[in-house]
Amino acid sequence: MMEEQISKIAKQAKEEIINSKDANSLNEVRIKYLGKKGEITSILRGMGSLTPEQRPVIGEMINKVRDEIETAIKNAEKEIKNRELINNLSKEKIDVTMPAKKQELGSIHPITKVIDEVKEIFIGLGYRIAEGPEVEFAEYNFDKLNTPKGHPARDIQDTMYITDDILLRSQTSTMQARVMENQKPPIKIICPGTVYRADSVDATHSPIFHQIEGLVVDKKITMADLKGTLEAFTKTYLGEDTKIRFRPHHFPFTEPSAEVDVSCFVCKGKGCNVCKGEGWIEILGCGMVHPNVFKFCKINPKEYTGFAFGFGVERIAMAKYGINDMRLLYENDIRFLKQF
Amino acid sequence: MKASIEWLKEFSDINISTNQLSEILTMTGSKVEDIEESGNDIKNVVVGKILTIEKHPDADKLVITKVDVGNEKLQIVTGASNIKEGDIVPIAKNGSELPGGIHIKTGKLRGIESCGMMCSIGELGLSIEDYPEQIEDGIMILPKKYEKNLGEDIVKILKLKEEILDFEITSNRPDCLSIEGIGREVAVSLNEKFKNPRANIDSKKEESKSELEGLKVDILAPELCYRYIARAVKNVKIGPSPDWMKQRLKACGMRPINNIVDITNYVMLEMGQPMHAFDITSISGGHIIVRRALDGEKITTLDEQQRTLNKENLVIADEKKAIAIAGVMGGLNSEIENNTNTVIFESAVFNGSNIRLTAKQVGLRTEASSRYEKGLSPENALRAINRAVELVNILEAGEEISGVIDVYPTKQKENKIEFIPERINALLGTELSKNEMEEILNKLNIKIQDGFAIPPYYRMDIEGEADLAEEILRIYGYDKLGSTLICAETTLGGKNKQQKLEDTLKNLLVDKGFSEIYTYSLLNEKELIKSKIDREKVEQSIILKNPLNEDYNRMRVSTIPSIMQTISLNFAKKNQNVNLFEIGRIYLNKNKNIENNKLPIEETMLSLASYGEHMDFYTLKGIVENIMEASHIKRYELSSNIKKESYHPGRVAKISVGNDTIAIFGEIHPIVANNYGVGTRVYMAEIYLEKLAIYGRANNKYTEIAKFPAIQRDIAIVIDEEIEVGTIEKIIIKKSKNILENLKLFDIYRSEKIGNGKKGVAYSLRFRSNEKTLSDEEIAKLMENIILELKKEVGADLRK
Repeated sequence: MMEEQISKIAKQAKEEIINSKDANSLNEVRIKYLGKKGEITSILRGMGSLTPEQRPVIGEMINKVRDEIETAIKNAEKEIKNRELINNLSKEKIDVTMPAKKQELGSIHPITKVIDEVKEIFIGLGYRIAEGPEVEFAEYNFDKLNTPKGHPARDIQDTMYITDDILLRSQTSTMQARVMENQKPPIKIICPGTVYRADSVDATHSPIFHQIEGLVVDKKITMADLKGTLEAFTKTYLGEDTKIRFRPHHFPFTEPSAEVDVSCFVCKGKGCNVCKGEGWIEILGCGMVHPNVFKFCKINPKEYTGFAFGFGVERIAMAKYGINDMRLLYENDIRFLKQF
Repeated sequence: MKASIEWLKEFSDINISTNQLSEILTMTGSKVEDIEESGNDIKNVVVGKILTIEKHPDADKLVITKVDVGNEKLQIVTGASNIKEGDIVPIAKNGSELPGGIHIKTGKLRGIESCGMMCSIGELGLSIEDYPEQIEDGIMILPKKYEKNLGEDIVKILKLKEEILDFEITSNRPDCLSIEGIGREVAVSLNEKFKNPRANIDSKKEESKSELEGLKVDILAPELCYRYIARAVKNVKIGPSPDWMKQRLKACGMRPINNIVDITNYVMLEMGQPMHAFDITSISGGHIIVRRALDGEKITTLDEQQRTLNKENLVIADEKKAIAIAGVMGGLNSEIENNTNTVIFESAVFNGSNIRLTAKQVGLRTEASSRYEKGLSPENALRAINRAVELVNILEAGEEISGVIDVYPTKQKENKIEFIPERINALLGTELSKNEMEEILNKLNIKIQDGFAIPPYYRMDIEGEADLAEEILRIYGYDKLGSTLICAETTLGGKNKQQKLEDTLKNLLVDKGFSEIYTYSLLNEKELIKSKIDREKVEQSIILKNPLNEDYNRMRVSTIPSIMQTISLNFAKKNQNVNLFEIGRIYLNKNKNIENNKLPIEETMLSLASYGEHMDFYTLKGIVENIMEASHIKRYELSSNIKKESYHPGRVAKISVGNDTIAIFGEIHPIVANNYGVGTRVYMAEIYLEKLAIYGRANNKYTEIAKFPAIQRDIAIVIDEEIEVGTIEKIIIKKSKNILENLKLFDIYRSEKIGNGKKGVAYSLRFRSNEKTLSDEEIAKLMENIILELKKEVGADLRK
């Protein structure tokens, strides 16, 4: 009798739980069965009227049913909450294709880009970055670089002077002498910087431009090391398939000296506008540090050898990015700058 | 330096194409800049002889000719009137090409077939200057001697085909400013024998005399003139040079003048030694004196310009006057005339840098001076003058007078270089044997004697071991040099603190929407005035002695002008919301450094500039504060106590550490903006980058995160309008000691209630101690103290 009633209650309660659509109706179900005056509670209260044999059996049964109902209510609660959340979230749907709220990014100038890329490569090869004055003694720009007064190179370069002895450096090679005077070998530096020459502004000239100088001094440094270093550099910077070509040249402060051509990185050596159909682009000058330069900087040329190289940043930036007019680099139109 | 293949072949066999030759020479150090070719645009034009001329039946101005072109006879119709039977003329046959891409084909003229065309000099691309005996508006009539060449290619007959190489000769190789010098390079580069066509000149022994035809020579400035040689030629017949000489001169870019002048130019081109020729009658007292010019001495040069000289210039003079500016140009007063009988040739060597300076001073850079300035070998001078006399004989331009005046006070020194093959290999990174090296040096005419290398007289540039190494390597082949990695002590690469900071700040600014710019550090004083830069700073300008032009005559003392120019350009182009930054230097001649022969101060500035509706003072201030944070500068003072005329007087601030100004920023003065045509508010910051690096201290130790609870209090006060909130904050911070964790201004309030000229300011304060839990009583007492101090210092009232 009692068992039947309990089973009936259990079945009915479960049905009602399933049919509860929201938290309120579910709560009503709980009160109806599990509340102080609920049906399960009433049965528990009426246990006293049972026989001692019936009591444990019915007790166990009623407890089981109560647990079942409680669990069913908990599960139903979870489900209802979930449903409500899904419902709420769907109301919050927005148009993700609407414009973003953002701070526009700025840009790095192509000259800096080239300098930074070159710096990174050489730092990886163990070089430090050296910097020095742009307003410089003629001594460092010329004399200590084996270019004494009266040397034709002083004429060719058309330097801008402040006084007879102070000038605007016409080459970052000034740093060769400055570093060698102040640091004992081993020396491994690169020096990016601004240089000045009396060239009027046009599509390929500017009185102010940038160079990067490199200098290595140690025992047993060879010209083959110079070639190896520049090959490693150009392959890293311009691509693994880049070829380089050393041509004899003359600079007062290196001997032997070379000009270096790289296979055109635009047309890969086939011939184009950038390389003027030659397949090669001249990118830098280099050589072994002249013994006289060592002497001027108080380094013994019998003990040490070294190499130096230098190149123009604008030339490379222009070739690399296909910029056909140097003036664009100094005009700073934001529409130009934002492309980098 | 230009050299024709035809002339070079006199010095070395050349059995490869001109392109191959130029490639090889470029790789041994004589860089070919350009190859000029002529005569390639004339094809199938041959020598023909006019056999008959008949009238055209249907045209008065045309004639019908029969022409013999060797293997056939052609009928050609022409309108030319300067031809007669028997004339030898150039015939463009059917299928021929002429300059300008003109193709000639058989066609009919007024019904009569014409199998080609007779050519004028113009149609062949020739000029009347080169063929003065011809006429411009008629057919070119060739000399009778070509009758035996009927049917042969006109290009070959008239030697119209020329290949000229244009070399870039480096300043250390003046010997290659000559066909002979390049010829030596050709021979050694192609591994051919140098033909040495001047061997007869080299072995010539001419008797040295102190007087020649009554002429004496004295050098009064031996420091500027190393050698002076004179020879004489009499019964000179001035006239045009032969075609072969004219052609070679023209190929090298020189204009033929007359046989004597042409000989001097020819020798200069061939041997690299500038020469000069005087009329002996123009030399007063029969005495050539090489001396410094007098201050203010005047001479009229061959180009009919009067030049004023000084004692730094060297002149060739007679007893009365200067007759040439040494090494630069001759004087009009001693010019060779058509009636000149006796010519004095001069072959001299001067101090190179002196000639260079003189040429620059008088504004005359001639073929001669540009050779002298690089330093010529005195040993070459005698060969050259003997060659000139030889050419007089060959051209039958006069009679040689034997004997030579040779004043040679400073003999050219022979260089002797220790030759140690191991050291050369060590420098180059090669493994050449001693024999291989000696073989190369031999080809270059560098003698090896008792372990020493002795370069030939014409290679004055070879002075040391490194020079020998270069000679060996360039002939061995730069392309054969291996590539090795440095095998030496390991060095640690990297950037210093400031370089790293620059990278950090660049990244920060790009994130903040700023684009990097590069501007010129040269400007004109006008720009400084336009930007209202302080007079004191303007006076520290470094002014160039030889500026490129007046726009760029001084170094900038501030970045404001160049940045305003950039802002102006962008504004004019209607670019909106522009944010720019630059890392660049300013240059200050502090304490008269320049005058004391010291270098000026160079300071690296981080400059920011911005305009657009997204920007205002406080946005800029936020970015400047971000920069301070990124630089790890925690303690700094920000104040309005700054006067800079470039800025809006009420909207400018400075940041300092101690007495050191780190940054100035604010709104650009509207007058300055207006001066640059910018009709909107411009914001600018000038930040001293070196100082950021100096004062910045990155955390290198972790501080424990406070574990005690915080207490929050708000405070609202009323103060006079003029009092800056910064002052209040300073007081609160000072009184709170080290337990104030955060201070935030959350309201500024003005109303009639609190009174005119007053403002209400409300702060939220958060306290926390690292040592203990703060008690309410403690904080209440502290707040009371703060309020009291605010009242005392700035008259603040607590707002109820």
